[in-house]
Amino acid sequence: MQPPIAPQATMALTTRQEQKISPFLEPGLQTKASSLAILQLSRDNLLPVYLQATAGEHDGYAEGVVVNTRYGSFPHSTMIGVPWGSQIRASKVDTGSRGRKRKRPTDDDPDAAATPQTANETEAPAESGTQAEDAGNATAGVKQAVAASSGFIHILPPTPEIWTMSLPHRTQVVYTPDYSYILHRIRARPGSVVIEAGAGSGSFSHAAVRAVYNGYPSSTTTTGKRKGKVFSYEYHEQRFHKMQKEIVEHGLEGLVHLTHRDVYNDGFLVDGGRSPGADAIFLDLPAPWEALPKLSRRKPESIPGDEEWVSPLNFKKSVYICTFSPCIEQVTRTVSALRRLGWVDIDMVEIANRKLHTVRDRVGLHLPVDRGVNNTPKDVDEAITRLAEIEDRFREHARLAKGAADEDVTDLAPPPGGQNSSKKAMNDVNGKEGYHSWVDGRLVTRGEPEIKTHTSYLVFAILPREWTEEDEAAALARYPVGSEQLHPVVGSLDKAARKKERRELLQKQGNRKARRKERAEKLLGEP
Amino acid sequence: MHSTIRPNAWVALKLPAGMHRVLQVAPNTTISLGKYGSFPANLIIGRPYHLTFEIQDRQPGEAPRLRVVSPSELHAEALADEASPGCATPTGPGSSEAAVISAVTTGEEFSLVETESGNVVARSNAEQLLDETARQTLTQDEIEALKRGDGTNAGKDVIEKLLLSHTALDQKTSFSLAKYKLLKTKKYIRRFQVLPIDVPNFANWQLEERDASKVLDMRAEMIGLVGCWANVHYGGEEVFLEDPQATTEEGEEKLPAIQEEQLRGRWLVVDDTCGALVAAMAERMGVLHPEESDSDSEEGQGGEEEGTKAMTTGEDAEDSDTEMAEAQDPTPSEPTGDATPADAANPKPRKPRASDFAIPFSQTNTITVIHSASQPNLSFLNYWGFDITSPCHLPHPLLNHLLNLTWLQLLKPELDTSYFTPPLVADAETLAGWKPSRRGNFHRKRRRWARIRHIVDSTRAGNFSGLVCASTMDPISILKHTLPLLAGGAPVAIYSPTIEPLAQLADCFSVSRRTAWTSGSVAEVINKSAEELERWPGTDDFPLNPSLLLGTSIQTSRARRWQVLPGRTHPLMTERGGAEGYVFTAWRAKPAEGRVEAKGKFKRRKTEAGAVTVGAEAAAGVVKAETGDAAVEPEA
Ligand SMILES: C[S@@+](CC[C@H](N)C(=O)[O-])C[C@H]1O[C@@H](n2cnc3c(N)ncnc32)[C@H](O)[C@@H]1O
Repeated sequence: MQPPIAPQATMALTTRQEQKISPFLEPGLQTKASSLAILQLSRDNLLPVYLQATAGEHDGYAEGVVVNTRYGSFPHSTMIGVPWGSQIRASKVDTGSRGRKRKRPTDDDPDAAATPQTANETEAPAESGTQAEDAGNATAGVKQAVAASSGFIHILPPTPEIWTMSLPHRTQVVYTPDYSYILHRIRARPGSVVIEAGAGSGSFSHAAVRAVYNGYPSSTTTTGKRKGKVFSYEYHEQRFHKMQKEIVEHGLEGLVHLTHRDVYNDGFLVDGGRSPGADAIFLDLPAPWEALPKLSRRKPESIPGDEEWVSPLNFKKSVYICTFSPCIEQVTRTVSALRRLGWVDIDMVEIANRKLHTVRDRVGLHLPVDRGVNNTPKDVDEAITRLAEIEDRFREHARLAKGAADEDVTDLAPPPGGQNSSKKAMNDVNGKEGYHSWVDGRLVTRGEPEIKTHTSYLVFAILPREWTEEDEAAALARYPVGSEQLHPVVGSLDKAARKKERRELLQKQGNRKARRKERAEKLLGEP
Repeated sequence: MHSTIRPNAWVALKLPAGMHRVLQVAPNTTISLGKYGSFPANLIIGRPYHLTFEIQDRQPGEAPRLRVVSPSELHAEALADEASPGCATPTGPGSSEAAVISAVTTGEEFSLVETESGNVVARSNAEQLLDETARQTLTQDEIEALKRGDGTNAGKDVIEKLLLSHTALDQKTSFSLAKYKLLKTKKYIRRFQVLPIDVPNFANWQLEERDASKVLDMRAEMIGLVGCWANVHYGGEEVFLEDPQATTEEGEEKLPAIQEEQLRGRWLVVDDTCGALVAAMAERMGVLHPEESDSDSEEGQGGEEEGTKAMTTGEDAEDSDTEMAEAQDPTPSEPTGDATPADAANPKPRKPRASDFAIPFSQTNTITVIHSASQPNLSFLNYWGFDITSPCHLPHPLLNHLLNLTWLQLLKPELDTSYFTPPLVADAETLAGWKPSRRGNFHRKRRRWARIRHIVDSTRAGNFSGLVCASTMDPISILKHTLPLLAGGAPVAIYSPTIEPLAQLADCFSVSRRTAWTSGSVAEVINKSAEELERWPGTDDFPLNPSLLLGTSIQTSRARRWQVLPGRTHPLMTERGGAEGYVFTAWRAKPAEGRVEAKGKFKRRKTEAGAVTVGAEAAAGVVKAETGDAAVEPEA
């Protein structure tokens, strides 16, 4: 199921592709054993799982490793070697030696653990073909799973977005609306080197590594383009270890370099004093201003001592930063520190993200009684018709009753159905009189019941590259000034000058070039 | 991105008022910034981005000069405010403006700035201030104070009053001086900053200052969301199909076959933003900006160059070509440079000459644009030196990574002449007898045929890693034809300036539609094969097969910008309005065949005594929501 290697690709690549490329970066077309997959149990219920091909009974299940959910039981064997996005049916699992008395996972339904005898319906074993192929040696000892009559999940390839929704939280994390904007603004691109602190739960790290990824660093070829990398720092020991484990499990070794470190005091250099050469920085720390001096190009006054200063930044490029702080006081201190340390283009924003749901607003007296239907008049006309009917009936009734006691007046206007209608009826209305719950009613959108109104303030800034007198002298020598008079002025020309210039150009260079010039000028536009 | 401003690069010059001027920096030209002055382009070429330059007055007989304004100078005011104790009241006593007054000397200018918005409401210099009316309204003492450059608040207040009277603001509005801030500036601040034209800068400029409708009002937040949700990223080392070495006598049979297993990291795009969306994707995939080698820092950075020249042949070729382009005194407005043989588009096989049927496109890390006109409109890519209409092109990463085809070629290739007409063939002798121009034409046609074939066939092979749209077309119609082309689990991200098209799209995947579909109660669906259902043609009730997408969702994001100044931190008072912008996201599902029912057995465990079983009807198989969610909701 691993795509065969292109003829041009080297052997070195082959080995890597087989075991190393992260499922986050290249999931392939199908799920594979010993790799991360995300089970979508329901809309927002996502469960990360490392798929395991087992050679025999596992934990009492004859089918090998089984995921038990409230939607049924899912042996890993039914989820390996299937296309990503597959809908997976629940299986009737064989508890075998497991025994009925053992404590089951809380969410599980005892009845799902059907005994082998009941699993004799003719339904084909789910995905047995691919399973046999991929589980390989496993098939011998593992019982083939038998699909249950109901219950299913979907299996998705891991992406930073899905991971962020499903990851085991150890801290506050940065969610997609924030990190998507941050990575865009700090120019995290293939080949960039990003510094991130603290790593926390690794939500941002996963998004950052996807953004900068342009191949794994290779030990054989040290030439060519610079490889993107994330340098991440975390001082909380357990979080550091957990995250380090994840980096390995997710195949991100060599792409995320995690350091156990207090960055306020010990800065960002790696491997005993080497500069990461960062192009972009993201600080999600309680006190970013404590870390900022360490992110200078030259030794800032606030740092004592006279050892040689090694900057963790890329000395050849402008460096982009974003700090992420929930409180305005933190922003004030951060911005002040940025100004003192020579950062420019300081900009602060806050991201407000909203999710919207679509619903069919079904209102009307004519609509059948159904869940979610509001059987009240849909407009004034319907209300009037209805009222007039009632009046009619009332008069009719009064006429018939003719002075009799009014004991049954309350029957005149039975309340429009709803509360007293049976559930059976509610589920069978589709199709009646051309009614379909999915096309009737007005399509509207509405927000979620609860919205996040504040995540954090995002402070952005840029630190231009150093530019010395010598640099300037060299540039001046390379691009001397003085021959400008021979060339047109660009920028704001008045119309007449522009026309004249174009005429001259047409004569000089012939039509083809001029047409192209015109096209380019259109881009430039009139000032 | 390059670390320094390269000759002929497109840049944005940020002017003091916050506006940008976008232009190409042609060497040996003069760049004019209108009233801010002009300067030789060569003074910024080879310099770093993001420095702030100040145009210096030109002394007779001297070369024009730019001064680099230091960050401490740029932040002087804010830092001074911070240092002063009463920083919360900008015009209050002890604020740094006191010092300002002492300098009513030559060439200085005062401006009154509205503290909230930062707008300059009045500007004047000292000489002008002391005009006749001023002399009438001021006492002799005040005038003296002003002339002396008296550093008292009295002097400052006088200036403020005068400035306001100049604009007649004081008569129209009841104003409080505290609303304004007095600034001393040079006559015009002739400062500017050079920003690179990358996607964030370009998109902002297009949105805020040019024509937002061209990019469908797509804000930075949306570009970020679409890119992430569609999982757009570097799609792997480039892989090329082998040159079949087809002779001119060989036709169709010699075209290299698509090798499906090689096709990886490919994104499908529908772009009605003139290429802004494609540029954003290309930037995320590392194929927008020409490769930056370490030797980029040629401008005398000494030792660091050594040992970095070893690059792949492709990059090497590219680099030397760029050098060439620089050397030959380029014409200002020619982003794509001059003609080089089209084969230069194919940097990898630098063999003697690629045959007509050699496929120049990488099989990985590609963007496939489907367009509705016969040519795609990707004109904004010109800002990055890529011109899709140019037959001959300098090397550019997009050449091997951007594929385009029309909807007709995708869906009805048999109706497309260039796809359908078999390639021209001719034996070597005939060919030799032709005029060079005719021969050239012959080869061009064969090459074009091979490319179109390859693009159409590989696109129709499907298994795309994701779909991205920002289109004026109905998203339902787009998905109808593109969903079958997506790999399982592949994300879909569709941007729309307005919510309505996306709401209609999301409605195609509503719970009730999916439930009806999967429960087997839709007559048309029964007995259809999985393949047929993937290519569901659409009906009124089911415009799309609702089981082909998972986790459909619509969202919007907005960045609220703040002013952060000592004692005056608050959100901006106004921002750009117009279209909000929304993003629809989902993942491609591979539905199981046959009728599938949700399990829906839910128990409230260990709650209070007499725990209720919620969704009992679900257990009876009545509710068949695709996700169990619908069944969990207790029915009141
Ligand atoms: C809010 S969390 C970061 C969450 C992360 N951005 C994510 O998306 O998952 C902040 C982390 O910074 C770490 N931290 C705080 N101060 C630190 C320091 N001085 N050096 C290194 N890490 C630090 C904390 O332990 C914590 O895990």
